[in-house]
Amino acid sequence: MPPRGALLAAAFLCWGAGAYAASAYRSPFPPPSEMRAPLEGAAGDMLALAAGARRLFADLWFVRLMQYYGAREMPAEAEQPGHEGHAHSVDGLGHAHCDHDENYGKGRYPLFLPMARHVLEVDHSFAAAGLYGAVSLAFGLNRPAEAEQLLAYGLKYSPREWKYLTVLAAIGYSKAQDPAAVARTIAPLLKDPDCPVMLKQLAAFLNKKAGDYAAAAAIYADIAATSRDEAYVKNARRELEKFSSRAGSRR
Amino acid sequence: MTPAAVLFSGVEKTYRRPRLLGADYHTALKDLSFEIPPGEVTGLLGLNGAGKTTIMKLITGLLFPTAGKVRVFGHSPSEGAAKARVGFLPELPYFPPQVKPAEALAYYGRLSGLSGASLSAAVDSAMARTGLEPHAGKRVLEFSKGMLQRLGLAQALLHGPDLLVLDEPVSGLDPLAIHDIRSLLAGLNAEGKAVFLSSHSISEVEKLCSRVLIMVRGRLSRSVTRAEWEAARGGLEKIFVEAVK
Amino acid sequence: MRRAAPVVLSVALNSFSESVRNRFFTLFAVFAFTAVYASVLAGVMAVDQEARLLADFGLALIELTALAYALFGASSSLLREAETKTIYLVFSRPVPRWAYLAGKFCGSMLTAALMLAVMALLHLSLLYFRGFGVPEAYGWALFGTFLKLSVIVSFAFFVSLFSTSAVSTLVISAIMWTLGHFASEARFLAEQSAGLKGFLLGALLWLVPNLQLFNVRDAGAALAIGPSALFSAAAWTLSSYLGALWLLSRKEF
Repeated sequence: MPPRGALLAAAFLCWGAGAYAASAYRSPFPPPSEMRAPLEGAAGDMLALAAGARRLFADLWFVRLMQYYGAREMPAEAEQPGHEGHAHSVDGLGHAHCDHDENYGKGRYPLFLPMARHVLEVDHSFAAAGLYGAVSLAFGLNRPAEAEQLLAYGLKYSPREWKYLTVLAAIGYSKAQDPAAVARTIAPLLKDPDCPVMLKQLAAFLNKKAGDYAAAAAIYADIAATSRDEAYVKNARRELEKFSSRAGSRR
Repeated sequence: MTPAAVLFSGVEKTYRRPRLLGADYHTALKDLSFEIPPGEVTGLLGLNGAGKTTIMKLITGLLFPTAGKVRVFGHSPSEGAAKARVGFLPELPYFPPQVKPAEALAYYGRLSGLSGASLSAAVDSAMARTGLEPHAGKRVLEFSKGMLQRLGLAQALLHGPDLLVLDEPVSGLDPLAIHDIRSLLAGLNAEGKAVFLSSHSISEVEKLCSRVLIMVRGRLSRSVTRAEWEAARGGLEKIFVEAVK
Repeated sequence: MRRAAPVVLSVALNSFSESVRNRFFTLFAVFAFTAVYASVLAGVMAVDQEARLLADFGLALIELTALAYALFGASSSLLREAETKTIYLVFSRPVPRWAYLAGKFCGSMLTAALMLAVMALLHLSLLYFRGFGVPEAYGWALFGTFLKLSVIVSFAFFVSLFSTSAVSTLVISAIMWTLGHFASEARFLAEQSAGLKGFLLGALLWLVPNLQLFNVRDAGAALAIGPSALFSAAAWTLSSYLGALWLLSRKEF
């Protein structure tokens, strides 16, 4: 056994060496000074930092965002937030359905941007959340300026994120009233696992509107096969049924 | 010249208990000197708090003396060379309740440097000597106090030590268990092993030991040989009572 | 040294088997099973991000459960052995204290590795039943968690040798674990602050192991555990071990 003093000196030396080797490390995450959480979320953010669980808390914020926006379809009442702008129908079983069109998701949702941005403040790498927020703001809530703000924040910490750039371009074409270009621009994004189902829905709608039923059907089939959002899946199936009945009547 | 099994020379032990501000000090042993020759059975008598357990822990290297010198077969008790020759049975030894005696012994055997066939042989021999063989299939949680004490003794015997340090080896045991342990210790002594045991039972010490050290408040009050207490009226008990009064 | 290797192994295996036999091990395993499977509820709410949420939830639960059990074990191990006098039977034998401490640490890490493996299997089975594959950088995330545990468990052993109770060891170690995750944020603040404040914050950073270095669970594939991170983990672990040995070398029982 070496002398006790040597043990203590070696312990300090090792600790210092460990700290020195770690000193070059910089966190990839946005700094806490950028976190502008709504007050009730501040404790959660502290926990996220303390437990090194930013990803998990970003997930939870994302769930809250979806709940705020109404990720699932709500039945019939058009007065409900997010359902004012589109028609509703009742099927043979008495179930109410939203008839999604380009106006889907219209509403005020004043906290949408800060909530969506907060997801990225907690975990900038959550591209799916950034895309969901931007697409909802630009094409659902008709607030392209806020969508651009969100994407700009996302790009600050993920400058090479092509998906953000793609949506930015689509927003530009949308502002220029060029739906065909929007559909063309977002096409490469549709197969990406991060692509929000809402964007797929928009692409399908734009293709349908442009008369490209084959492309629209392919996107609806993809939604039906891959999405876990029942509302979108049901809608996609309904659209596919419409396409097949239309094709049948033509024959 | 063969070194003494145990040598205490001017040993003092003071315990320090840290407090919020400063510390409390308690001197357990003062200027203690004695010697235990190899092959002798020596008893240690004293009232509670007399320093018996402190002496045993100093011999086994669990405590360090504040002053003075402790030697075990000529080595410092902290040295491996000393520890390899000492077997220690603390008062009320603990073994994990889920294990079987052979498993517990195998662990301590490995810690004593045994392995392979020599480990198996040592475990078997210790079990046989302490009468644990019939209970080999039981788990420790099924053991009575007497069986636990036998297991404690077995772990002390595993590596064939030359000195056994036993803290209250017969405390709380039934007469049959006491008889068995007494016979075992007598047998070990006949093989030339030194035994140093502490006890509150004067009659047990009287039966087993050839010499007794009487501790009073951390000091060695008397060292009494068998011949002395056998010659004295009232025997060892009277000598002890007079010493501690 | 060569003669001490079997001692290290014996103490490690004994400590491992005692940990696994402990009834709290089963309790923690049941908790982990329930919590991991209960995360399905949260996953469903994430709709198309269910796979990500299940992966994040599971990895965080795995780490917290393993951390809680490892700290529980490390903070009470030496104390319990002293209280039950088991340590008398160990240190009255020719067992070097460094070997005993190394064995105890290895036993704790073996237990932690087993817990991580069992919980990861549970978690992957849940992902499989929900139709998802193995998340990206999953193995690295577990390895990162193991490195964090190594740093914090050795620190807990160090603390347990001077603290007055297992609870205080647990609390101090948990605080260190939390600070370790704040280290990167603190570095940012230190670099933003000027003068004495910045200097003090910077100095303080040297006292806290930066656990974000190993936090692949959080940073995902973007964080690679490179040689410098491995070196830091080894250096911090060794430092706490040496500190603990410094205390143990003169500790009386």
